Amino acid sequence: MKDKVLAAPLNGDLDAFERKIPHLSNALSRRIDADPESVQQGLAQLVLTIVELLRQLMERQALRRIDGGGLTDEQVENLGRTFMELDRAMEELRDHFGLEPEDLNLDLGPLGRLL
Amino acid sequence: MIELLAITDDPVAPPPPLRLVPAGPVAVVVGPAPEGEVDAEALWDRESLLEDLMDERALLPIRYGTRVEDDAAAAAAVVPRGAELAAALERVRGAVEVSVRAIAPEGEEAGDVGAVHARLSGLAREHARHDGPEPLRAAYLVDRAGVDVFVAAVRELQQEHRGLSILCTGPWPPYSFAEPR
Amino acid sequence: MSKTSQAIAEREVALVDLVDRLLGGGVVIAGEITLAVADVDLVHVSLRALVSSVEKARPQEP
Repeated sequence: MKDKVLAAPLNGDLDAFERKIPHLSNALSRRIDADPESVQQGLAQLVLTIVELLRQLMERQALRRIDGGGLTDEQVENLGRTFMELDRAMEELRDHFGLEPEDLNLDLGPLGRLL
Repeated sequence: MIELLAITDDPVAPPPPLRLVPAGPVAVVVGPAPEGEVDAEALWDRESLLEDLMDERALLPIRYGTRVEDDAAAAAAVVPRGAELAAALERVRGAVEVSVRAIAPEGEEAGDVGAVHARLSGLAREHARHDGPEPLRAAYLVDRAGVDVFVAAVRELQQEHRGLSILCTGPWPPYSFAEPR
Repeated sequence: MSKTSQAIAEREVALVDLVDRLLGGGVVIAGEITLAVADVDLVHVSLRALVSSVEKARPQEP
């Protein structure tokens, strides 16, 4: 491999141009697969991951409201039923696209997992 | 799985284990999909392969990590875009990409950066600004024969704009000019 | 700075340009937008945290 630097700054100081790239392999573990079926599945995976994130956030919020009191028994029951239905709907969607529950997560590299 | 490396229209077979898969008016350079960790070394290996190919032929690098099942899938993925890729090859033929990044350590005005970019753009077939932390992160598509003149201009600009630090790297395959408009 | 460490430093700054190009540039094969959403952009999301930018170049009119 030839030298790639064609012209360096006058003071020769290259540090400012550097950006550390520590976990490249980690970040690149997801590969592009130019196969239409997997593209569709990948898109479904992304969309469902975001839906799942919202579902979990709502569920946590609902649990906080329930724990905090102030909701009628009927309201609590309604919430519970709604989330069970949502859960079932997600399961159907996952099955449809051949995804496992653990597929609905994103690896954000050094930031950890999304869910 | 095979990995797609570049689009070319040169019929000469690349050195093994690379192969040429015809795809309409163009062809795809394919190779075995590399196993294992993707680290800096793997990226440099890819760069080295592309540079060797680029010495012999016009090419459009393909986004790193593009893999398909087999030759038929490679051709099927490329054929629908054959015409526009052939046109893109014409745009880059005989040219290389040169990268320029400029930073202003003393908090100099971005106006200097604009002047640098304007001068260098005048020496390039095409230019593209990239997003980045530096005030100027750009790619220039420069005729192979014009690289020395371009680099000399960078050095002059560095002399004229003492407040800027300018870093120029290349020649690269035309990564920033590969995607047809 | 010794010759060797200068060479290593040059290699490292050039790596930034290489990563920028290999991962943010090049032809996107098969369903550009879909692919970008489905997979490539996921790569970008995680990379952006590592490298400051692997944004795709926005070519300007010559």
